Amino acid sequence: MKPPVFDYIAATSTDMAVAALAAAGGEAKIIAGGQSLMPMLSFRLLRPSLLVDINRIPGLAYIEEADTCLRIGALTRHFQIETSPVIARHLPVLSAAMTHVAHLAIRNRGTIGGSLSHGDPAAELPMIAVLLDATLHIESVSGQRAVRAQDFFLDALTVDLDSAEVLAEIILPKLPPNTGWGFEEIARRHGDFAIAAVAATLTVSDGSIRQARIALTGVGPTPVRAAAAETLLIGHALENKLVESVARAVRAAIAPEDDLHASADYRRHLAGVLTDRALHAAWRRAQGEP
Amino acid sequence: MSEAPEMHVRPKIVGARIKRTEDPRLLTGLGAYTDDRQIVRPLHVAFRRSDQSHAKIRLIDSAAARKAPGVVAIFTAVDLSEDVRTLVATSRMKDYHATPIFPLARGKVRYVGEPVVGVIAQSRYQAEDALELIVIDYEPLPVVIDPEQAVRDGAPLLHEEAGTNVLVSREFKRGDIDAVLASAPVRVEGRFRMHRKTPVAIEPRACVAEYDAGRQALTLHSATQVPGIVRDALAAALDIPGHRVRVIAPDVGGGFGGKGSLYPEEIFVCAAARRLRRAVKWTSDRMEDLLANTQGFDEIVDAEIGLDAGGHVLALRADVIGDVGAYSIYPWTAALEPIQVVSFLPGPYRIEHYRGRVQAVATSKAPTGPYRGVGRPTSTFVMERLMDMAAARLSIDPAEIRRRNLIPADELPYKAASGIVWDKSGFHECLQAACNAIGYDAWRARQKTARANGRWIGIGIASYAELTGIGSRISVAPGMPINTGTETASIRIDSTGAITAAFGVASHGQGLETTLAQVVAEHLGARFEDIRVIQGDSAAVAGGTGTYASRSMVLAGGAATLAAQTVRDKILNAASHLLEASVGDLAVQDGKITIVGTDRSISFADVARAVYSEIGKLPQEARGELAATKTYDPVFGTTSSATHIAVVEIDPQTYQIRIDQFVVAEDCGKLVNPLIVDGQVHGGVAQGIGAALYEEVRYDPQGQILTASLVDYLVPSACEIPSIQVTHVESASPTTLGGFRGMGEGGTIGALAAIANAVADALSPLGVDINELPMTPERLFRLIEAAKAETRS
Repeated sequence: MKPPVFDYIAATSTDMAVAALAAAGGEAKIIAGGQSLMPMLSFRLLRPSLLVDINRIPGLAYIEEADTCLRIGALTRHFQIETSPVIARHLPVLSAAMTHVAHLAIRNRGTIGGSLSHGDPAAELPMIAVLLDATLHIESVSGQRAVRAQDFFLDALTVDLDSAEVLAEIILPKLPPNTGWGFEEIARRHGDFAIAAVAATLTVSDGSIRQARIALTGVGPTPVRAAAAETLLIGHALENKLVESVARAVRAAIAPEDDLHASADYRRHLAGVLTDRALHAAWRRAQGEP
Repeated sequence: MSEAPEMHVRPKIVGARIKRTEDPRLLTGLGAYTDDRQIVRPLHVAFRRSDQSHAKIRLIDSAAARKAPGVVAIFTAVDLSEDVRTLVATSRMKDYHATPIFPLARGKVRYVGEPVVGVIAQSRYQAEDALELIVIDYEPLPVVIDPEQAVRDGAPLLHEEAGTNVLVSREFKRGDIDAVLASAPVRVEGRFRMHRKTPVAIEPRACVAEYDAGRQALTLHSATQVPGIVRDALAAALDIPGHRVRVIAPDVGGGFGGKGSLYPEEIFVCAAARRLRRAVKWTSDRMEDLLANTQGFDEIVDAEIGLDAGGHVLALRADVIGDVGAYSIYPWTAALEPIQVVSFLPGPYRIEHYRGRVQAVATSKAPTGPYRGVGRPTSTFVMERLMDMAAARLSIDPAEIRRRNLIPADELPYKAASGIVWDKSGFHECLQAACNAIGYDAWRARQKTARANGRWIGIGIASYAELTGIGSRISVAPGMPINTGTETASIRIDSTGAITAAFGVASHGQGLETTLAQVVAEHLGARFEDIRVIQGDSAAVAGGTGTYASRSMVLAGGAATLAAQTVRDKILNAASHLLEASVGDLAVQDGKITIVGTDRSISFADVARAVYSEIGKLPQEARGELAATKTYDPVFGTTSSATHIAVVEIDPQTYQIRIDQFVVAEDCGKLVNPLIVDGQVHGGVAQGIGAALYEEVRYDPQGQILTASLVDYLVPSACEIPSIQVTHVESASPTTLGGFRGMGEGGTIGALAAIANAVADALSPLGVDINELPMTPERLFRLIEAAKAETRS
């Protein structure tokens, strides 16, 4: 379990990083926290000719509040997000999700940009990005582009990021007023990748749901939004019959697979149970309960 | 020599809660593990391991690899055939088929992960780069992966020369089992599956061989539990006399049995070091650890008990298939684990009629070896499930059915149906103490209310007994290459008055540097802090095997007692001349010899100075070296017992299991250090929880291992382990010197069954049986779905 030979550059600016990526002709990988990349190198599952280290680029790690959104630099560590008061105030569902991301030692090192770029099918951050309609800013020598999180995750460990591109910034719209949230995850052990996880937000006014968002991870190759299930909620108050039909719609919307830790059937079962719990939690919070 | 008077006036060192003396070193990074050893220009080994489950090796082409940067040598089995004599784990058991131990696969590979080629290079990186350039042409052979198929006539054979895949079979029998079962008023039976585990020590195995060409001497540092066994085996395999082979187990980061056997890699680095006249080092990475470390517990058990209407067990029958993997490991043989299952199945219960049959079946998986508990985690799981199933059938409380069947104190010693003799141990006392500690009756009441509210709470009891600290009369029985029934202690006071106590045991987390020093201090009359314990070094004493099988405190503690008493006599003898007082008037305490009732005393250092450099002060007969070496043999060993009780709650929707409370009441005899006993029990229970709920080595039907990383093989972390309450029962004086009983494994033995019973109890309203471990959420989901489907139909 030793990595094969590779070259290494410690970039000091994003321009330098993307230039190095471009020059490597598709053979380079970015290293940030290294929490997924290093094991893959050690297993020799990846054989990049060059590692471009972005850890020393100044100004890539930040959490900034704007009027309608939060901007998070790609190099921001999980721990910073987990403990950020700004995020706790505006996107508490993200704060809650962060406690499920691996363990403290990993959260001290791992980055949001790394997690999203890696695209693990059972990770929390991709799911939250999809839930919150994040926009991802990507840079390369040929310029900048923006991708909606919904369109970014293409398949397991496959994202819309060219080998010469670097994810630079994540933009998360603030939640509307009167929005409650729920986050439910089942993993084999605390900190493991999710067998199934559901995050939901409900925006409520006059006792009925105006906007509903439900996202899942661990139940398919990419995080998913359960759009049909969300639609069922609009205009209604949350009650058990409705939740049952929403859970059914969620189960129908996903295509989980068997793996060593859980069957597709169990994941589908959990998706329904966790949807129920996440929606009830979101509903309670939308009424101002803690 | 009377020591009784002083014993009353000073605090005992044995029994004191002394913090582990090794911990400051280990916890501040000052420990030195095998991989830490600093060597001039060592060479590094990477093994090309088999990616085939069962295949003939047609051709190995290493030409390209030999030219790779940094490569110094490449060896295959053929290259080393002149260097290494074949070792065989022999046994006198009939129908036993040994398998040879080679450093590298010879002719054929028999499991994924088996070392085939060793590449030796300037760095591990270069060695791994070169591995990829080796081409091996395999001819695939039929898979031998399912143990139930492998036992059948005509199944493809893993070891053709054995003529069968059944490496050993055995039957234990007492009484007329068939007739008694047939007429028993109540019978419960089950088919139980314990899935394969792997020990996962935090420090993977590592070994480095240094060859001194001038002296033709070999030193192996190895992360092993058994330096003495490895030394003796290497002397034979490499044809070097014992005084020119030294095996040192420095600080070792856990073993759990997984470092308790001789390994091919140890032979390889030694043979290579001698051939190359260079130091050769191999450190297992985690993937190699999961592929090729000895694994454990892999059994299918069909078992049945017959009871009378009062819930008394009349008869027990069991048929066991033990999947032992590809080889019969050295020196324990493939018989070790599966035979213990049938030996210990009757447990601490009075069962007159018994038949236990076992087949140890070779399959193309990593070899199994000792793993904490050996056989007894499975036997306890099966027996304790049967007891609960019988209790449910008869509507008797699980605690009560155990009370009715545990061997009463006045019938001990008791010869169990499998031939094991239990000496006096607190079978009933442990059950009662565990029930008291957890508040058993209160929990049952709470459970009733919770059930009415739709909550799934379960309470699970497991009682067991084990043989520990076994002596020569028991360990001779299987006819292994070695007899493990003795250990030696060598205690010496040097010219500065400092005390060195050397042992053949090899602590790898047990805290023996502390507990053995306590025993020595107690019996020598020395200060605890003046004693240095040397262990884990084959040169420390003439013979010794190591630390495993809950033996070290009993055997090494016994030897320490004998040696310390002898040295104490020598001190007293010399001191009586120096103080001009009779021995009977002297007391030894805190490293000083005092004339009782006076303030006249001299220190050990004063005595040592006289003995070693002022011998004119002493008559001839009092000048003997202040040293003694004693070997202790507990002959039979002793019985340790415990009851574990777990309370779990299962989420009725997600089927996640949470352990709410866990209690252990155990009888390990005289406690040397309660802090360390508690730590051992905690660790054992954690491992048992892992085995019950998380851990499972998985192979696919083609024999590819699926659990080759710690993402796939799940060990519990601190988050998954509840707080564990431990209650100590010192029931009766056992047969060992000092009254010690072994307790290193018990935590694991009881925990699986307690958890299994608690889960089954929680689900009893659904009619779900728990007969497979680990009980993962996936398995629970399937069982519950099936039960619900049955209810609907």
